[in-house]
Amino acid sequence: MIEAIVFLPLVGFALVGLLAFVDPGTDTPEAKAKKHKIDFASQWITSGSLLLSMVLSWVVFNDVALEGNAYTVQLMTWIQSGDLELNWAFKVDTLTAVMLVVVTTVSAMVHVYSIGYMHHDPDVPRFMAYLSLFTFAMLMLVTADNLVQLFFGWEGVGLASYLLIGFWYTKPSANAAAIKAFVVNRVGDFGFVLGILACYVIFDTVNLDQIFARAGEMTQVNISIFSGEFHAITVICLLLFIGAMGKSAQLGLHTWLPDAMEGPTPVSALIHAATMVTAGIFMVVRMSPLFEYSDLALQVVAIVGASTAIFAATVACTQFDIKRVIAYSTCSQLGYMFFAIGVSAYNAAIFHLMTHAFFKALLFLGAGSVIHAMSDEQDMRKMGGIWKSIPVTYTLMWIGSLALVGIWPFAGFYSKDIVLEAAWAAHTLVGDYAFWLGITAAFLTAFYSWRLIIMSFHGSPRADETVMAHVHESPKIMIAPLFVLAFGACFAGLVGYGWFVGDGAGVFWANSILILPEHTAMVDAHHVPMWVKYLPLVVGVAGITLAYVMYMFAPNLPQMVVNAIRPVHKFVFNKWYFDELYDAMFVRPAFMAGKGFWKTGDGAIIDGMGPDGVASTADDTARRVAALQSGYLYHYAFSMLIGVVLMVSWYLFTHAG
Amino acid sequence: MIEALVFYMFALTAIASGVMVVVSRNPVHSVLFLIVAFFNAAGLFVLLGAEFLAMILVVVYVGAVAVLFLFVVMMLDVNQVELRQGFLQYLPIGGVIGGILTFELLFIVGAWQFQPDVSAAIAAAAPPPDQVTNTQALGSLIYTRFAYLFQAAGAILLVAMIGAIALTHRKRPGVKKQKIADQIAREDSIELKKVETGRGI
Amino acid sequence: MPITEVPNLAPALPEIFLGLAAMSLLMLGVFQNTTGPDGVMKASRLTSGLGIVMLVLAMVLVVTVSGDRLLTFDGLFVSDPFASFVKVLILIASTFSLILAEDWMEKQGCHRFEYVIVILFATLGMMMMVSANNMLSLYMGLELQSLSLYILAAFQRDDMRSTEAGVKYFVLGALASGMLLYGMSLVYGFSGTTDFDALAALFAGGTEPAAGLIIGLVFIIAGLTFKVSGVPFHMWTPDVYEGAPTPVTAFFSVAPKVAALALFIRVMNGPFGDLASQWQQIIIAISVASMLLGGFAAIAQTNIKRMMAYSSIGHVGYALIGLAVANETGVRAILVYLTIYVFMNIGTFACIMAMRRSDRAVENIGDLAGLAKTHPAMAAAMAVFMFSMAGIPPLAGFIGKLYIFLAAVEAGFMMLAIIGVLASVVSAYYYLRIIKIMYFDKPVTTPLETPIPKRIVGVLVITSIFVLAFVVFPNPVINAAGVAASALFSG
Repeated sequence: MIEAIVFLPLVGFALVGLLAFVDPGTDTPEAKAKKHKIDFASQWITSGSLLLSMVLSWVVFNDVALEGNAYTVQLMTWIQSGDLELNWAFKVDTLTAVMLVVVTTVSAMVHVYSIGYMHHDPDVPRFMAYLSLFTFAMLMLVTADNLVQLFFGWEGVGLASYLLIGFWYTKPSANAAAIKAFVVNRVGDFGFVLGILACYVIFDTVNLDQIFARAGEMTQVNISIFSGEFHAITVICLLLFIGAMGKSAQLGLHTWLPDAMEGPTPVSALIHAATMVTAGIFMVVRMSPLFEYSDLALQVVAIVGASTAIFAATVACTQFDIKRVIAYSTCSQLGYMFFAIGVSAYNAAIFHLMTHAFFKALLFLGAGSVIHAMSDEQDMRKMGGIWKSIPVTYTLMWIGSLALVGIWPFAGFYSKDIVLEAAWAAHTLVGDYAFWLGITAAFLTAFYSWRLIIMSFHGSPRADETVMAHVHESPKIMIAPLFVLAFGACFAGLVGYGWFVGDGAGVFWANSILILPEHTAMVDAHHVPMWVKYLPLVVGVAGITLAYVMYMFAPNLPQMVVNAIRPVHKFVFNKWYFDELYDAMFVRPAFMAGKGFWKTGDGAIIDGMGPDGVASTADDTARRVAALQSGYLYHYAFSMLIGVVLMVSWYLFTHAG
Repeated sequence: MIEALVFYMFALTAIASGVMVVVSRNPVHSVLFLIVAFFNAAGLFVLLGAEFLAMILVVVYVGAVAVLFLFVVMMLDVNQVELRQGFLQYLPIGGVIGGILTFELLFIVGAWQFQPDVSAAIAAAAPPPDQVTNTQALGSLIYTRFAYLFQAAGAILLVAMIGAIALTHRKRPGVKKQKIADQIAREDSIELKKVETGRGI
Repeated sequence: MPITEVPNLAPALPEIFLGLAAMSLLMLGVFQNTTGPDGVMKASRLTSGLGIVMLVLAMVLVVTVSGDRLLTFDGLFVSDPFASFVKVLILIASTFSLILAEDWMEKQGCHRFEYVIVILFATLGMMMMVSANNMLSLYMGLELQSLSLYILAAFQRDDMRSTEAGVKYFVLGALASGMLLYGMSLVYGFSGTTDFDALAALFAGGTEPAAGLIIGLVFIIAGLTFKVSGVPFHMWTPDVYEGAPTPVTAFFSVAPKVAALALFIRVMNGPFGDLASQWQQIIIAISVASMLLGGFAAIAQTNIKRMMAYSSIGHVGYALIGLAVANETGVRAILVYLTIYVFMNIGTFACIMAMRRSDRAVENIGDLAGLAKTHPAMAAAMAVFMFSMAGIPPLAGFIGKLYIFLAAVEAGFMMLAIIGVLASVVSAYYYLRIIKIMYFDKPVTTPLETPIPKRIVGVLVITSIFVLAFVVFPNPVINAAGVAASALFSG
């Protein structure tokens, strides 16, 4: 079963990947019909395999998470070298089952949605193949039973993400964004790889179960780095967390995520909202048996998470690109999840991950529907006044936003509340930091969500007439998946609360996450004062109200506010100058150094003496050596004779002499 | 004493004719000198008590191989002068290399230092020579202990034959071949004539 | 004189079978009616098809009889896991080259059934070589193989270059055989035995060998180095590879190479294993010279077959590193390397055989220009093989080189490993040049012929899958090689 879930997308990818090579020809009716056939086949092969995979995932979820039958499937030996033994294996426990459900469901919906969204594109098979490849890699990631297989999936999703961001490769900005995503992730991966190596050094294995089994014994072990002694588990956890920061776009390594919106919108929904960016969360939760033994690492996680939450929320309030707003929102929500982890509320983090996957995918796909309606316009300043023309999309965006803000009874209410409550209940300095930043961010979340809704749908139309004339509701094939996701956004919280964080949590999670008894935040979260419980809701409503006041009732107010706090706004609008900072700190010096090395170092010195020199020497040598080959038989025979004489003489001089 | 004299006679003649094979101007002479060398080698074999090998050497190498060589050499048109030039051109360096090799081999082999139990090993390999004849000893070894090698040699010869045919044999059109049966069965070739007595033909 | 008992034939079953099969096919071929318009072609196709079947059956037999170390024919013949591994490899190589040959030979008009027979006998000779446990059986196997190879090189008898290749190979091969025999007679003269086990026992106690014996060994090394085409006994290789018909070159580049290297391994590590300190230096020198010459000389080539000749010299250099370390890890590394090498080379030659333009086989590297546009799949396969030969991860060639270099490092031959890595950098030059020509150069003349024959496509698919997937499933080969190598050192 689990094999089918994981490999169905791979099969889909392989089949459709081959279809992508079929050239239907150009511009004849037959060619068009043929292309149509190919597109149709590729769309339904991939979507069909994903839907099947989704159904099976639900079955597995029922079996593993609800019935409590966790198991591990060994497929085959991958590498066997000395002590290192790696298997291809699927570790299926509750955590994996939850991720399976989230990944396959969102992915299946996105596949179906793409049928409609991409139907004009000339490269449909390639797109569908990439989507399936991504899903396969993601499933390998969440089912990994050792760190190396996890890394395989990790790099696989990175590759698929690169391919999909740069899907429209004729756009320079898309290529730049794809490269940026890859390079920034590489920084994180470096940490991850070092983390895996450190794990191997300390535990002599990269198998997850074996590591977890021995984690308790290793709490006092130190590792020496550059002749300094450090607490081994802390080092491992911090290194792994660097990897997670890259993939989950946390403060410092977040710059690629907004740019990644250059990719097609279904990609943003699947990869950059619901699944790949949550891989970091998943990995850290998966490694909870290690993180639990390192308070320092947990504190770092919490601080980074909370800071990201507030940072991204402020930026989202100032952006005008509809997808960028949602991208920063994603960044911010990932911050929530990380600070939940930081106070040992792993199950709350995964709970929020699950609900977030539904409503954020919904928001992205809804935004895609809007963009589709507006003839590929993404700037909110050029939208407005379309809510009557596309009522279904409008309603769905409302549902998504309500869930995101955390209004009762939508999914986000349950998950965001428990996250914030756990932060409060931690009763530590870091916990308080996270709580108050989280509350502020919740306020901002509500504000920018309604800013988005009001700017895109309400007010007077700001697009030109041809565009407005074309505004239309999306086809059914695009709306249907939105309903599924909306269903999740409405009820996932209500249904999941009991299992994930409520009374049944202990049974539900079984052994898949570890929380030490002294970390009581999760237990205490259910016994917090009333005001803590209601504060998120109150600030949410306040944020919505403020948005209404500023954008609906007093449209001049935003400009006045901006003028009043111009320096602050400029700072936030420019995304806290992270890109500029990195540009000045890394990119430009690197380019300058590169240029220097290229012109003088490489061109003059290395090329002169190196490649060019070596190449010409090699060519020269080659000609000389080849010239030895005269073609005369007696030359050859003679050279053999010389060889023998040399060998015999050598022996005489070294041994007999 | 006599044995030693005979040995040196054969050995020196063999070496001298070997040199002559290389240096003589006429290739036919070279082949003839080769035959002399073969005869002397056969003589050495007889001295060693290996009369079967000696006879085989004469029969095969002198009787078949060398004669074949002779035919080939006589049919080929070898340019004497060119051959000479090459010889002189490469003589110095060839001489040096050859000299070094000879010196080294003499140096090593001349030391004549065997592995400790070599005589025992050699003795075990063959039946005692005073009890069986050469031919008998060889036969009993070739068809028993060395049957594998004997078969392998057969395979090699078969391959050589296949090769010779595959590389040289062609069906030429228009070549008249003898078909004895057809020739005999020809109708008009034989005529019976009545010869009258006392008249002659 | 007692009647000796019949030797145990079971260990030699594959060889006996192949020998009988070759002779039966010879009879079949000879008595075919070839008078019809395409009678010759029919006979050739029939024997070729049956020949492939026979080789596969022989492979099955080899696998069946493999197991413990068995001696037979009075210790002349040995069957052990090492021999079985190499024999399977040889048979795979022979099978592939037969599959590829028929089509090419027909198009060149030199299809004759003798080709198959000679290939079968050559294969038989190789199998006898790797199973040799005595100088005499070694020599017999070697000569059977060599003689067949001389014939094959000259097989395209109306082509000047082919006959020239045959003659050159024959004369130089005879010289090498002479050296080998001279070495063997020296060894016999100074030790009194030609049996490998007896020789091994002679040196087992750590006794200092006689100087004459070592000189004999040096001559044997010279003879064997010629057979594997190591420097400085490599001079025949480029000329023969270029001149011989392409399927023959393909065959030359894999099967005899594997067999000769295996023989080299057995002779060096079997009877003379305890003299490793005496011969290691020589092997290292040959290895280094081969790697460097193979790397540099290939750069200057314009004929792809000639380039492959130098490439094979370089590969032999790498493989000899594994011999130079003289231990089990080294032998395992060679076996893994050779397995991968066989598949890469067969694949490359399949591509070369598909190179035809206006009904003629072409073999200049420049003829590949723009192949990526006209034959994208073939270009991709060729690129895979070239990358693999250059040793670029994660392709199979990389793993082969990795094992070799690891063995060298483990045994403390750091310099050798470093030279190996540098030489492979040099060799990457010409491998990548092919890729550059295929993908980035403008085609100058008419594109190569299409469609590519089905057999070639099939071989290309199999070999490229092997090269690509080896990194995922390396264990069967590596484990088998491990068993084979340990058999050589325990017995």
